[in-house]
Formats: sequence, C-alpha cells, structure tokens
Amino acid sequence: MTEHKKTGFLKRFFFSLDHKDIGFQYLLTAMFMAAFGGFFVYVFRYNLAFGPDDIPLYGNLAAKEYNQLVTNHGAIMIFWVGMPMVLAVLGNFLIPIMIGTDDMAFPLLNKISYWTFLLSCIVLLSGFLMPTGAFGGGWTMYPPLSVSDFGYNNPNTTFKANFFTGNTFFLMAVALEFISMLMGGINFIVTTLNKRAKGLSLMKLPIVVWMINIASLLFMFSVGPLIAGTFMLLMDILVGTGFFDAYRGGDPILWQHLFWFFGHPEVYVLLLPSLGVVGEIFSTFSRKPFFGYKMVIFLVLIAGILSLVVWAHHQFVSGIDPGAANIFSLLTIIISIPFAGMVLAYLGTLWRGDIKFTVPMMFALGMLASFTFFGGFTGLHLGSNVFDIYAHDTYFVIAHFHYTLFPSVILGGFAAIYYWYPKFSGRKLNKTLGKIHFWGTFIFFNSIFIPLFWLGLQGQHRRIFDYSNWDKLLMQPNHIMARQIATVSLIFLIITQFIFLFNFFKSLYKGKVAEKNPWKSNTLEWQASSPPGHGNFALYPAVYRWPYDYNHPDRDTDFLPQNEK
Amino acid sequence: MNFFPESNSSIALEIDNLFWIITGVVGIATVITLFLFVYPMITRKKKRTKIERYMVDFTHKHRIWLYTGMFLLLMGDLYILVKEHSIWQRVEQELPEPDFKIAIVGKQWMWEIIYPGPDGKLYTDDDVSAINNLHLPVNRVIHMDLKALDVIHSVFLPQSRFKQDVLPGRTITRWIKLNKEGKFDITCAEICGLGHSMMRGNLFVESEEEWKDSMDKIYGIKK
Ligand code: HEM
Ligand SMILES: [Cu+2]
Ligand SMILES: [Cu+2]
Repeated sequence: MTEHKKTGFLKRFFFSLDHKDIGFQYLLTAMFMAAFGGFFVYVFRYNLAFGPDDIPLYGNLAAKEYNQLVTNHGAIMIFWVGMPMVLAVLGNFLIPIMIGTDDMAFPLLNKISYWTFLLSCIVLLSGFLMPTGAFGGGWTMYPPLSVSDFGYNNPNTTFKANFFTGNTFFLMAVALEFISMLMGGINFIVTTLNKRAKGLSLMKLPIVVWMINIASLLFMFSVGPLIAGTFMLLMDILVGTGFFDAYRGGDPILWQHLFWFFGHPEVYVLLLPSLGVVGEIFSTFSRKPFFGYKMVIFLVLIAGILSLVVWAHHQFVSGIDPGAANIFSLLTIIISIPFAGMVLAYLGTLWRGDIKFTVPMMFALGMLASFTFFGGFTGLHLGSNVFDIYAHDTYFVIAHFHYTLFPSVILGGFAAIYYWYPKFSGRKLNKTLGKIHFWGTFIFFNSIFIPLFWLGLQGQHRRIFDYSNWDKLLMQPNHIMARQIATVSLIFLIITQFIFLFNFFKSLYKGKVAEKNPWKSNTLEWQASSPPGHGNFALYPAVYRWPYDYNHPDRDTDFLPQNEK
Repeated sequence: MNFFPESNSSIALEIDNLFWIITGVVGIATVITLFLFVYPMITRKKKRTKIERYMVDFTHKHRIWLYTGMFLLLMGDLYILVKEHSIWQRVEQELPEPDFKIAIVGKQWMWEIIYPGPDGKLYTDDDVSAINNLHLPVNRVIHMDLKALDVIHSVFLPQSRFKQDVLPGRTITRWIKLNKEGKFDITCAEICGLGHSMMRGNLFVESEEEWKDSMDKIYGIKK
C-alpha cells in the first residue's frame, strides 16, 4: 500500500490513477455536461410555452435550432450524464472500496477510459461549430435523415465537406463514448471478479456492486450491433455507401433494429445501478436486512436477459411485420413481472423498518416511487402494441421515459451523492439545504411531466417546434396552460439545483468533518477513513458476513459491519 | 377534463377503451403498491423487537408477498394481452375489401395525396394528386398506400388513433373506416427535418354526396 502523497489539484485531477480521483473527474464532467443538457431543455421548453422570441439568456430560436437542441439534450442526458453518473461515477467510487481493495484491476485503462470520455464530450460539443451546425435529427439518429437533411448523399459533396458536419461529429462522439464505457465496464467486471477481499464471496457483495456489474454486462452484450451500425451510418455519411438507403439496396429499418437492440437494454443500464443505490440506502435507513437479496439478483438477471429481446416495442408502427409486433408486445408486458418482484422486495425491506428520513433516504424513496408509479406502470400502456399505435411519438412517451430516466439518473444520482459524500469528501453536506433540494427537485419534476402525459393523450406529437398549425387539436387554452405549467416548473427545477451546487462545493471546504461511519452502515467502504487515502485501507479488511446484518438479534448494536466476526 | 381528443372511427373508441382497461389494471396495482410504500412510513415509530426487524429473505414467511404480487400482475398482464390481441389483428394484420383506394406520400414537408382519378383505379394515367387535403367518404373501407419520398415520415391521424411510419422505397397498405363527418388533422409523427412542424394536412370526412362533389372538383370535372 502506497503512502498518500499530497499533490496539486490540477496534477491530481488530470493524471491521478486513483479510482476515487477518476470517479471525481467523471462526476465533475457529468455535471458540466448536465449544465448543457439542462440549458438546452430550458431553451426549447421556453419556446414551447412562450414562443420562440426573446428567450432569456438565449435570444430568438429557429426551427432548425429547436431540432438541434432537442437532439443534443437527449443524447447528452443519456450518454454524457446518465452513463457517466450511474456507471462510471458509481463504479469507480464504489467498486474497489466496497469489495475491500485498493484500486481497479487496470488503473491505466481506467484513466484512458476517462480521457476518451472527455474527448467524446469535446467532439460532441464541437458539432455546434460545424458549418452545417450541430446534428438535429433526433437522438435516435434514424437514417436517412441522419445521413443528410434531405435524406440522400449529394454525390457532388467532398469527403471533407461530409466530414465537417454535425452528423459526423455526433456519431463520432457517440462511438467514442461507447469505447470509453466499454473500457470502464471491463474494468468493473474484472475488478469485481478478481480483487474481492478475503471472505467476500459473490453472495456477500453489496447489491449496488452486483447491479453495476450486471449493467456493464448488459451494455457489453447490446452495444456491439450498434457499433457496427454506427460505423455503417458514418460510411453512409462520409462516402455514400448506402447501407440505409432504400433506393440503393439498403434499408432504413435496419438501423432502427440495431439502435434499439442496444437502446432498450441501455435504459436498464441506467436503471440498475441506481436501483442498487436505492437498495443500499433502504437497508441502511430502515435498519433492516435487504429483503430478498438472492431473489432480486435472480430477477435482475431475468429482466436483463428479457431486455435483450424486447427492442422492437419502439417500432410497433415503424413498418416491421405486424405479426412480429405481437411477440414484442407480449415480451414487453411480461417484463413487468420481474420488475414487480424487485419493487416488492424493496418494499419488503421497508416493512417494519426503523425508517430514518435522511436526505439520501428521501431521494431513494422518491426515486423508487416515481419510477414505479409513473415510469413502470405507464410502460404497460406503451408495451401494448395497440395503445402504442396512438401513443407512439407523442408526449405520452416523453413523459413515460422521463419518469424512468429522471429517477434513475437524477434522483438516484443525488441519492448516491448525498449518501457517499461524507465518505469521499470527508465532510458532511448541509441537511436543511439537502431537504429543500429534495422537495424542490421532486415536486417540480412531477409538475413538469404530469401535464405532459395529458398532452400526449391529447395527441401532442413530439419534436415539434411550433404547435400553432393545430389550433383546434393542440392550441386550446388548457393545452397552452399545460405547456406553461411544465415550463415554469422546469425553471424552478433548475433554480433548485443551484442550492445543491452551493451545498456541494461549499461543504467540500467548509462542511462539518465526517466521521468514519456516519450512517452506521455495514459495507466495507465505511471501514476506511473519510476520505480514504490512496490505497483505501490501512489494512485490507477480511469479510465474515453479508452486508445487511442490521438489527441482528444476537447483537446489542443495530448494525454489524461486514468485517466483524 | 377530457383525456382524448374527439374520435372519428370505431377503432379509435376501442383503442381509448383499451387505455382505460390498462389503466384499471395499473390502478389496482398502484393501490396495493402504494399501501406497501406508505404503511411502513407511517408506522415507522412503532417499537419493535430485533427479531421482528430481522427479516432475512428466504427464511421469512413474508416472501410470499413477492410471489403473490408477481402472480397478480401476471394475471393483469394476460388480461391486457387478451384484450389487445383482437384489436391489433383487425387493425394491423387484416385488410378488409376496399371501397376506395388512395395513396399518401410523405415528402419534405407536405403530404401528397394521390386519388385514383375518374376511372377509380390507382396508378393509372388519370390519377390526380393534391397537396395536404384528403377527402374521404364516411362509413367506407378505405385502403391507403403509404409511402415516403425522401426521409421517414409518419402518417398520424390523431382523431382516428391511426399511425403508420412511411419509408422511402416502400409502400405500406393500411385500411381505415371513418364514422363521423367533419374536418380532422393529419400530422407527421416522425422527425423529418426543418419543416417537421409544418407538415399539417387536413382530413375531410364527407357524406357520399359531398364527397362525390369534392372528387369532381379535384378531378376538374366540376369547378
Ligand atoms: C430536467 C428536466 C428535463 C426536462 C424538463 C426534459 C424535457 C424534455 C422534453 C420536453 C423533451 C421532448 C422534446 C421534443 O420532443 O420536442 C425531451 C426529450 C428527451 N429527453 Fe429530456 N428532459 C429533462 C431531463 C432529461 C433527462 C435526465 C434525460 C435522460 C437521462 C432526458 C432524456 C431525453 C431524451 C432521450 C429525449 C429525446 C430527444 C429526442 O427526441 O431526440 N431528459 N426532454
Ligand atoms: Cu425499450
Ligand atoms: Cu415529420
């Protein structure tokens, strides 16, 4: 074990191989990208509620810019906020220390993964500087629109002109991001399999470590076809190969299969680590063993496998064979069963619990509630191929998937930050500000998206700059009001986040000093000092039990760390 | 508060109805789950022994929750699947004999409607095309050949709860039967570039006489 040396911030920030430093880099980068994703959504939502002129902090918005902002908002939130937050940040901070080791299996690969990620951010944002402007064909990049704005390659354009387009940069950025996350995922899995503390069998792993690993596996299983697809699409753009051009023997629907073969598992990649966080927090703050541990792992594996064969529920009306749509509808609706089991097991942990409403617990409860009641249940509506005929590409879908993604990425992410902050910074966040932050985030999040469900049922279709063409259908006073409620709530939601930023950065320097195990929790990271030095543990811990022995009848205390006999 | 816009076909009513069926299943599940969520929170202060708290999964009788819950939801799922299946078959997998045939071509950024012309046959020399205005007779089975020219568009008729993506290089034939006269909307539900939000069309559902009249006007037989 190496001595912890004091190094300068910049040097440490850019060159450290320590998993905690890399986790912190990912966290700051994700927050930086979230600022873009959040600003974009503010601009286009403002337009939807109050029109495109004189948007504060932006100016006038044109239709083309609307498409660009929507597209980049979606892509940033998924690939540059969601993926780093739940996979890279959690995986890096938590895996080595929770399994009782000093670092990742491949620290250098870990660093390269971060640098590739940073590069992908730069490539994506430089898309906005291209002569054609940023890519605006939707984050799903459906060709032929993603090949060129007019659906075909102009044979007279040069390679160079095709290269310096938003489309090319967008695709390259996505490809780089995949590479980065692949390197991270390999690292997580190898580390978990090989570097566990003595006595820490797989069935004694904290649930969040399980979830991050399953998510990484799922990502690896599903991303391959899309990497092939991305390459084909790039070739279509750059040299006009026509893989997706129906007039030249290609097929635009092929892309949709490749994309959603990845895209559906991807939403579980974002969900699972976050569910893992919620599991840790539920057990700790209910002071009870995690209920149904093996069952949950088993159900997650089932759901993971099923998630690889439901992708065409995004394509019920895209021109696939209607007979096949029946099978995808069946599988999609059935996937609700393992999720129901998981949610019930989680609620089993709360049952008879000595529940403590700390800030991380509030975020965790908010995460599970909004995911289940609005995200999961409306999945049944959309899994029905018949109802999806109507709901597809309306705001009903927008509201549904934000009710799955926002809890996974944002609420789950905040839960994790509030929970592990004392460990990794050595200081405590302010509780009162945390509670205000929770209530603001939770209430405004709901008041944004509940109106959008209703607008979707009214037939409001998505990715539309201006609804005034549909005066009778979509421009009645209550439609306009619903849009304005959503937008005003968004503005409040964004303002609330400044409370968090203030708390986060101020507490880094001025927060109350945190003890080793402030939540009286069992997992190994709480046995290291706060913050853990380089190498994490002064002595490698040995493990004697699973992580959830809260209120063990044989003990006087209500918790029992994994490394105690 | 109305949840859906007005409807102009019997299929539309069935789809709305299916929404409420699913919402019913979900509603029951919500009530049960909500109870399991809230009850432990309001009783959290109750004094309990360690034995009561130390519920370790597979030794504890409460695991029956999981199985019962999953089983109940499975029943709900099957109910939904049974209800939806026949609708899907009729809407998407069957093609009743047509009374009238037209083609719709999505292009940047308009809907081209191709009428069969006075001979009543599509794809002959006397076909007439119109932009954005679709006239259809009420209570007739209509076949629509759906196509796109440049990029993917999606024919979305909100009041008929009808949607079909249209693809360059492909023709997809679908049917529709409308039971209410009036003026309705045609929208594009798939992003298709700059003018995506300008792809507005009108669907006029007309009685037999009115419709003949409109056709004559479109064909130039009558001014
Ligand atoms: C902070 C609050 C957020 C609000 C108010 C919001 C709002 C919206 C809206 C209204 C759209 C649809 C725009 C349109 O179709 O014209 C949209 C698209 C999207 N959002 Fe969000 N969003 C938020 C956060 C997130 C988060 C956290 C994620 C994912 C982790 C996300 C992922 C997406 C995606 C993937 C799309 C689709 C983009 C596309 O159509 O190409 N959003 N968002
Ligand atoms: Cu999916
Ligand atoms: Cu369109």
